[in-house]
Amino acid sequence: MSFHEDKISVRGVETLVRRGGDGPPLVYLHSAGNEGWPPALELLCARREVIAPVAPGFPGSGGLEHVDHVSDVALHTVDVFEALALDRPAVLGASLGGWVAAELAARYPKEVGPLLLVDAAGLWIDESPPAEIFGVTPAELAEITFHDQEHPAAQMLRSFAFGFDAGGKPVGTDDLPPDELILPMVQALEAAARIAWNPYLHDPKLPRLLGRVRSPTLIVWGDHDRLLDPIYARRYQELIPGSEVRFIEGCGHMPAIERPEALAEIAEEFLDRVDEGR
Amino acid sequence: MKFFFFHLMPYPHLPADYEGPAWVKCPNRFYDPAAGTSLYNRYLDELAYADELGFDGVVINEHHANAYGNMPSPNLIGSILARITRRAKIAIVGNALPLYDPPLRVAEEFAMIDVISGGRLIAGMVVGGGPEYYSNSLNPTYARERFYEAHDLILQAWTQDGPFTFNGKHYKMRYVNPWPKPLQKPHPPIWIPGVGSVETMEFVARHDYAYMGIPYFHRRVFQRNFDLFREIRERAGRPADPEKAGWLVPIYVAETDEQARREYEPHLFYFIKKLLPGLTINPPGYTTAKSLLRIMHSFNDFMLSVDTWDQVDEGAYAIVGSPQTVAQKMIDLAGTFGVGNVLGLLQLGSLPAELTRKNMELYVREVIPAVRGALERRRSQPSLLEARPGA
Repeated sequence: MSFHEDKISVRGVETLVRRGGDGPPLVYLHSAGNEGWPPALELLCARREVIAPVAPGFPGSGGLEHVDHVSDVALHTVDVFEALALDRPAVLGASLGGWVAAELAARYPKEVGPLLLVDAAGLWIDESPPAEIFGVTPAELAEITFHDQEHPAAQMLRSFAFGFDAGGKPVGTDDLPPDELILPMVQALEAAARIAWNPYLHDPKLPRLLGRVRSPTLIVWGDHDRLLDPIYARRYQELIPGSEVRFIEGCGHMPAIERPEALAEIAEEFLDRVDEGR
Repeated sequence: MKFFFFHLMPYPHLPADYEGPAWVKCPNRFYDPAAGTSLYNRYLDELAYADELGFDGVVINEHHANAYGNMPSPNLIGSILARITRRAKIAIVGNALPLYDPPLRVAEEFAMIDVISGGRLIAGMVVGGGPEYYSNSLNPTYARERFYEAHDLILQAWTQDGPFTFNGKHYKMRYVNPWPKPLQKPHPPIWIPGVGSVETMEFVARHDYAYMGIPYFHRRVFQRNFDLFREIRERAGRPADPEKAGWLVPIYVAETDEQARREYEPHLFYFIKKLLPGLTINPPGYTTAKSLLRIMHSFNDFMLSVDTWDQVDEGAYAIVGSPQTVAQKMIDLAGTFGVGNVLGLLQLGSLPAELTRKNMELYVREVIPAVRGALERRRSQPSLLEARPGA
């Protein structure tokens, strides 16, 4: 792995930042799953400097006490740019991080360069609400997150056998995974719940705000996303002026893990095109 | 020793082939309101009967969207009890404070019940169970903060002259001035139920409230928790005081041990297998990650894992038997736990009305006097008490 970790202070909030590669900066905003440095970043850092800050309250970062709403995380991300001397960097946000990226680009349009929203949360469609991520077992989480249930990441998630089954009975109490594996997952879910519990995984004001986005925007979606149906990709496209959509075939909710090559290729192509147009 | 009659008001008619949770997602097409009419009235009669039989108090609590206990508003039931009971304390354990916004509502309703009942309210305050945060879409990551802040607001509302301003993080009230205020001064006694979190015990000890050990655990979990609570009280500079600890436990008394088991077993297992599943769901941020791990590790000592009668008996998950058997078990356990309040669940699961009444009668006439007598005899031999660590 070609990244290193630093702890920086962002207006007094300890923030873990993973960085790797060299070249124009690309900021990665992570999902609720605490995925760290997913395989797609390993590919993207071949030609760019990829910078992955950990959001407040997620493992490695403090500051959850300053967060009540997703907009607090968006503003904190502007502070991270300032602390790292990043000037209008490209931003790629996945899932929960895609929601943060959308809020960031809508609320602070002058702070964000090209924008990539990958299976981004943040919107709500009555006919197809986001799937439940809180209060399900890791096995159920694996089912809604990945298209290929044999993928190693899906298998690893399933092996975290703890929580409650569909009948409400605790499972895995005889054979709990080690605390150091469970604790980060529990902490990540808590930090996600702070902003995503209610309204569930969305901001009712976001649809109107998205008209403010000035970034060239690419929306990327796994065509088999069961957590956020691909119709959310179309809704984002309708709401963000001039945005485009690309679907990744045979892919679930987390392309950065499940189809890293496809995501990296699509992202590179888009970012190169934006660079040429400048 | 004080003896309370605790009622959950359970729903006894879940289909035999239903295997899902009793909480949050238990389909409410299973709820039959016509059956509900007779159930509520029967259960209220049982609570009134407890008063008539001479229990020190009756106990009720708050749960939402479930078949385990049909009291989403315990204050409604509490206000009925204020009128249909004459002497018993009315312990509402409790109101789930974070669910009330503004929580001044709790100060008002509790004060009403205290005033109507002539000062018989025991005010219970709880964070609310994990399922409530799903059923009410309330953010669990604020559960503790909101609980402590709501508690402060209610206590100030009861003890300070209004109007005054309360400026919290979650609750900002410019005119706190409740009418009525409680009859009991400085305020009704406060009981806090807990499952063993150190943080809750420290809070209870600091305020000199009473700690109610939440049931359905193996006796060794109770022992550990009551020992820990005594230690924490000592650290807070408060001597051991059995009055400040309560033991919630299912109890069933019949003529003989055999008859007790025969009459009780199916209803107890209806409770364990039908009504408990889903109770323990723990939403993110509701407890600290470390507490959550501790809870996960103790699940093998939780009643949900119980499958056989021997396990029930060995773990004292329920105290069942002839009057002599039940009295002896209670004397032993109440003694080692060091509790001065027993909150007996004498109706549980699908236990029908006639067995509930017989249970209550045998308990009051034959068990309570025996337990009282034995504990008083023990008190007159202080060396026995002193020999017990932490007493």
